[in-house]
Amino acid sequence: MASRLGSLPPQLASSSLRHHRHHLLHPQCSGQASLSWRRAVAPAQLELISVSASTGRCLAPLLVKCNAQTAVATSLSQGTPVRPTSILVVGATGTLGRQVVRRALDEGYDVRCLVRPRPAPADFLRDWGATVVNGDLSKPETIPATLVGVHTVIDCATGRPEEPIRTVDWEGKVALIQCAKAMGIQKYVFYSIHNCDKHPEVPLMEIKHCTEKFLQDSGLKYLIIRLCGFMQGLIGQYAVPILEEKSVWGTDAPTRIAYMDTQDIARLTFIAMRNEKINKELLTFSGPRAWTTQEVVTLCERLAGQDANVTTVPVSILKFTRQLTRLFQWTNDVADRLAFSEVLSSDMVFSVPMAETYNLLGVDQKDIVTLERYLQDYFTNILKKLKDLKAQSKQTDIFL
Amino acid sequence: MALRQIYHHETGLRPSSSSGLVGIPVPNPFRLRFRPSPALPLARTRSELGGGEEQGKAEKGDGEAKKGRRKEGVTLDDVNPVGLGRRSRQIFDEVWRKFSGLGQISRSLTDDDEGLLLIRGPMCEFTVPEAQDTTVLVVGATSRIGRIVVRKLMLRGYKVKALVRKADPEVIDMLPRSVSIVVGDVGEPSTLRAAVQGSNKIIYCATARSSITGDLNRVDYQGVCNVTKAFQDYNNQLAQLRAGKSSKSKLLLAKFKSAESLEGWEVRKGTYFQDVVATKYDGGMDAKFEFTETGDAVFSGYVFTRGGYVELSKKFSLPLGSTLDRYDGLLLSVGGNGKPYILILETGPLADTSQSKLYFARINTKVGFCRVRVPFSSFRPVKPDDPPLDPFLVHTLTIRFEPRRQKFVEAPGANNQDPRSFKLIMEYIKALPTGMETDFILVSCTGSGIELSRRDQVLKAKKAGEDALRRSGLGYTIIRPGPLREEPGGQRALIFDQGNRISQGISCADVADICVKALHDSTARNKSFDVCYEYVAEQGNELYELVAHLPDKANNYLTPALSVLEKNT
Repeated sequence: MASRLGSLPPQLASSSLRHHRHHLLHPQCSGQASLSWRRAVAPAQLELISVSASTGRCLAPLLVKCNAQTAVATSLSQGTPVRPTSILVVGATGTLGRQVVRRALDEGYDVRCLVRPRPAPADFLRDWGATVVNGDLSKPETIPATLVGVHTVIDCATGRPEEPIRTVDWEGKVALIQCAKAMGIQKYVFYSIHNCDKHPEVPLMEIKHCTEKFLQDSGLKYLIIRLCGFMQGLIGQYAVPILEEKSVWGTDAPTRIAYMDTQDIARLTFIAMRNEKINKELLTFSGPRAWTTQEVVTLCERLAGQDANVTTVPVSILKFTRQLTRLFQWTNDVADRLAFSEVLSSDMVFSVPMAETYNLLGVDQKDIVTLERYLQDYFTNILKKLKDLKAQSKQTDIFL
Repeated sequence: MALRQIYHHETGLRPSSSSGLVGIPVPNPFRLRFRPSPALPLARTRSELGGGEEQGKAEKGDGEAKKGRRKEGVTLDDVNPVGLGRRSRQIFDEVWRKFSGLGQISRSLTDDDEGLLLIRGPMCEFTVPEAQDTTVLVVGATSRIGRIVVRKLMLRGYKVKALVRKADPEVIDMLPRSVSIVVGDVGEPSTLRAAVQGSNKIIYCATARSSITGDLNRVDYQGVCNVTKAFQDYNNQLAQLRAGKSSKSKLLLAKFKSAESLEGWEVRKGTYFQDVVATKYDGGMDAKFEFTETGDAVFSGYVFTRGGYVELSKKFSLPLGSTLDRYDGLLLSVGGNGKPYILILETGPLADTSQSKLYFARINTKVGFCRVRVPFSSFRPVKPDDPPLDPFLVHTLTIRFEPRRQKFVEAPGANNQDPRSFKLIMEYIKALPTGMETDFILVSCTGSGIELSRRDQVLKAKKAGEDALRRSGLGYTIIRPGPLREEPGGQRALIFDQGNRISQGISCADVADICVKALHDSTARNKSFDVCYEYVAEQGNELYELVAHLPDKANNYLTPALSVLEKNT
């Protein structure tokens, strides 16, 4: 298995010439309309793909001729030998990404992490034994170097709340997928959002949906995993403010979300990745039970032994604010983020029955962590720690 | 937020000069002292809140903190428009952040909050509770298995030391950063001393990189010897520091240094069967136990009677408070001239010797001095119906010599001796401490993956290494994997066996997993076994299918698998 920038992977050769146009369905998308992705040409011509310029805004699609010789392209390919245990994790510093890295390290993979260059780099990845490479999805020219010698790409990246979504989540992903295709990545794992096809008015969901379609058409061997929610996020959002007796903000939305522990997600991902029967597939992982905000807050209150100071924000205010911020250019990003309020008000249940998925993966339902157990573990440990600190603090008071 | 700040700066918690612990969210009493503003923005660093007077006034928002610590009273800072503006901006940011956070389904944490609790702490699914106090030395940390072992150990919270030959940048890059690297070579014993200092356990996955016999012997045999010896020395050193009371120290049962030590030892003669006619014509038998002028205690004699034996026996008294059940076996330091002897232990109530049960084990000695280890598990009852040996009840030890017609085993220098006479120089008898966990894990191989031309040499060197480890007295676990494959681990069921029957391969990651799991497993102590992927037999061969163990989430496949295997093999 060799990967080379100029080689032509066999899947590509089988389909005939066509070029794609992707339209962003978001009505507010300013200006740009078509995206096309280029194909590598026949080795007889040996033209290297220029991956660097894939900003996604190219308007003149490249017409290529595929002739019959392309089917034997791989005989030419000698490049960096690729070990089947080498993985590139994009978004390795995120909540899900770090658990994926840990799981991969434990299972014996050689993990490479793509992180953005920072003045204070995220050192914990190197501490665990992963290799860290610098790159940025918004600068596509930095991507190819990171893919050399990689067998599988696991994509857990998303834009940070303070950045505009489109650069990383759409253009960056397109560049990454194109690059992966050109360099012969053997498997691409992509994390998406549950029901992303049902909410075209929410920008992030629409982008995820388009990325899924793009990936499916690209010809790579892919695995798309749709997720519902992370338990880890609840800690910062509810558990910590309750412990600190700060105000907890919640909506009165009736949406129920099935949260899942990221460690379980990582474990199931690897099981799915190795399962030979799952080749091109779309899986959904959702937690064992779907919770509303109110239920989560009640659970936290019960476990912390303290009452929460809950500020309930009606969803209508959120929607109104969103409409307001859409009017101004400089608040467009915020509007995008607030777009989830549309989802929240639609009384959805963000959950799917997982019995079939568990069967397919060979996993036992009992092994999946429930939210009650998760929060209980968290609170027991944190209260113990606080008690220890308090005991410690009583000692140091002597010196003052 | 204050809670987050604890996670960051837990170790650096220095009390500031005036108020105690400003950063801790202990409710109420402390809060009244400094009246924090209702929404503390994330942007505030800990220094602002906890800084003492030594912090410069130029710090952002420092006016806030100072105001908090001082008593009531409107100061100039309160109406300072810049300060007011800043504060209102901070409040607005905080409120806005929370508001926009409502609109998202799943937020990512912006800083390394989980750190102590969720990743390295008790909520991580990898964390092993015993790992915090254990330092593991990995020999061969740059090998395929070694690298994965190091990563797994780090994930579980162990402290890892890696022994490498050269501290090159490539080597250092290969290993995670918090591993402490020790430079040394297993072939040089002097370099190993620094490596074993402070280590509790050793995982040995080094193997010779080339097929030169010298290299093989050096790494697989001599290296094991050197490392075990260094580790034993270190343990003895520790034991001495604790005045011989450590769990790893041996119990002295008898020491033959002076003439008085011979007291209590009785020489007896006996016969297995009576052959009255023959006894008239043979030379009889005789033995004595004496202290020679050279300072040795010598048990010598001859047995010409067919079926006769002589023995040396003593009822020993153990020091107060110790009993033999805490010990695993006996260690004898003797000079035996290559003759075999029989050790007999008598158990039972002291008062009533007719109730005693006898257990025996054969030992072989080498020419010259040697140390013989006899585990209690190798003692068999004389009467087959008796229960297995219970070391707690042992009161008498006997060393017996009986002439046997032996096959001519090669025994250099002992060929001319008469098998019916013997001379045994006794130095000491000690008891070996038992342990719950293994101390040394050796990764050997089955040889099925190596090409035939090299196989014998490799197997010989590996076997020599294994024997050296078994003889050393450390708690050992010897793992013999099938041919290694570079695949991710944890996916297929594994077979554990002790009979040289396996044929399948196994992934490096699975072997690494077994090494790590065996560290604290009491069923892994003193066992050697082969391991490979499960083998689905073809039709007709199903008889030989071995039991496989599937990993589940908790992944405790090792204990049930090893508990059926035999110890001390």
